[in-house]
Amino acid sequence: MSEIFRLEDVTFAHNNSTRNVLSNMSLSIEEGSRNAILGANGAGKTTFFYTLTGVYKPQSGTVYSRGEPVEYTKDGLRQLRSDVAVILQNPDEQIFCSLVEEDVAFGPLNLGLDREEVFERVAKALRDVRMTPFARRPLQQLSGGQRKRVAIAGALAMNPKIMIMDEPTAGLDPQASMEVMELAEKLHLQGVTVLISTHDIDIVYKWADTTNIIYDGKIEFSGSAEDFYNNAENVYRCGLLTPSVFNMNRDISALDGLSPAPYPRNCCEFTAKFGGSKKSGKIVCVAVEEESAVGRYEEVMKELNGTLTGVYGSDSRFALREKHIDFQFDAIDACFTEAVEGKDSVLFYDSIYTPTIKEQYEKLKSIGFDADLEMI
Amino acid sequence: MDELAYSSRMVNWAPLGKLFFVLALLIVGLVTNSILVPMITFAIGMIMMAYSTNLRVPLLLLLAIGEAILIMVLGSGMISILGDHSLPPLWEGNILWFTIYMTEQSFNQAWLIFFRAIAGVTLMLSFACSTPIPYLSFAFKSIRCPNEITELIVLIYRYAFLLLERFLVMIDAAQCRLGYNGPMTAMRSYGGAMAGTFIFSMELAEKSEAALACRNYDGTFPILREPKKLSIKWIVVSIGLAVGLYFVGQYSSDWVNMAKLFAPLFGWDL
Repeated sequence: MSEIFRLEDVTFAHNNSTRNVLSNMSLSIEEGSRNAILGANGAGKTTFFYTLTGVYKPQSGTVYSRGEPVEYTKDGLRQLRSDVAVILQNPDEQIFCSLVEEDVAFGPLNLGLDREEVFERVAKALRDVRMTPFARRPLQQLSGGQRKRVAIAGALAMNPKIMIMDEPTAGLDPQASMEVMELAEKLHLQGVTVLISTHDIDIVYKWADTTNIIYDGKIEFSGSAEDFYNNAENVYRCGLLTPSVFNMNRDISALDGLSPAPYPRNCCEFTAKFGGSKKSGKIVCVAVEEESAVGRYEEVMKELNGTLTGVYGSDSRFALREKHIDFQFDAIDACFTEAVEGKDSVLFYDSIYTPTIKEQYEKLKSIGFDADLEMI
Repeated sequence: MDELAYSSRMVNWAPLGKLFFVLALLIVGLVTNSILVPMITFAIGMIMMAYSTNLRVPLLLLLAIGEAILIMVLGSGMISILGDHSLPPLWEGNILWFTIYMTEQSFNQAWLIFFRAIAGVTLMLSFACSTPIPYLSFAFKSIRCPNEITELIVLIYRYAFLLLERFLVMIDAAQCRLGYNGPMTAMRSYGGAMAGTFIFSMELAEKSEAALACRNYDGTFPILREPKKLSIKWIVVSIGLAVGLYFVGQYSSDWVNMAKLFAPLFGWDL
């Protein structure tokens, strides 16, 4: 993987302030990677994001984008911001228009794209966040969660190469949070580099490849999450806590006299490591398109009547909303957990998530569990 | 208001055309001395508003119109009782330290001003409740209004609501902590909420500036579905109607005498 962003000794302080918000920060971000940016309140996460988008110009140090130093000229910043999209914690801070579709179109129109393309991008972005029926609604009529989706759609419509999500799950209900994480995964699968800052450590522990810890304006750690969480003193000093799965794995491994490695990151991996059935249940994975999902469901369920079902991806979930589904969210983990427990299940999913399913299969295999997977 | 505007049946009419039409009617109502012209423009304003809202005028708007009418009734009432003392009075007397001197001329003048005012309110409201703010800004831009002004219109409109929302949250928070327990405490709480809103507005401005920059804002708010532009039809209809009403005004200045209409009711001898 090539490097998409690099910060070298970046120092930034707000106007008239003697305190550096970022101080000699150095970090490299790989293209197409899944990054968690963690840190206590006031650590400098949002300032770091604004530095990446060129909103804040460092007092010293250099920000490199694709190997080139960022140019703080109108054209240089336009180029940078057409690649980088940001979703802020509070959607009200980034929503400027009266209507949903007008707001989603705000960024693409500012890029000077022709109207046909803007309409296409708006339609696609609204579809991705399931807000199409609300396209002509005034934003004041929407709930907080719906406004967040509009803010996400606004960022998606920019077709970014890098997506920065600042507390994307804050203020969202658990289901909406899972949808956001599915969306983050989808972006990753489309080749977008995703950076997520959140206080929900459990959610990003499952998802991120690289964990970056910011403490007092510096990068305290960058690498595999386990390497950081194994240093309890450091975790405490940075104002963080260890994820539940990590804690349970450490404690049960200690009780059983086992090594904590390999580290399970979700429910199926944990179950496989400590209590898996000898014989795997079968997981039938059915990739579906929105238009044909119902037909596929009926066809498959005719043969596998009574089997547990799960759905992954917004298109499949929407298409099968009237059908009986046992696992509506986090269904990849849920179906693999069933398999670990020796039970069969059927997973209907948006075809783009095929690599995610295969990745989960491989991870279980590395833990020592060979799941009976059938992909149709 | 924007909500109402976006659901209006007139939302797709050219905003500049509507503005031109409304202004033409307002001006003609002001330059003629016949009460018939503001009566007609008032009726046009009411019809436009009824059409725009599909006869579903929200209660809040009705209350606003009611309040405007009440203020105008008071203002016109004052004009009617401050007549020229060289003319014969219809009614004179003293109430407390006020001297009331109503003449036929002041009575008619008050009615004329009243109708001009309510015609203005209804016409402007019919325009406002059918034109979303971004469309208005777009219309201003198309007549070469400086960008700074048109963008300010959009930003002020957007942030006024956010700040108001914040203010109400602060009021509720103060209420939860007995902030209105006694008049002095209440005043202090309101003062605190106002100061807090002001400070928040600074913070919001800073955050919004950054957010706008992230979305490639370059000083203009683009519109996805651009409204129709001002066409020659609008100009012809507006000017034609204004000229027609002007002539109606010229020939009908003594057709309607409000004092004579009300004379039997009040027993005036005219």
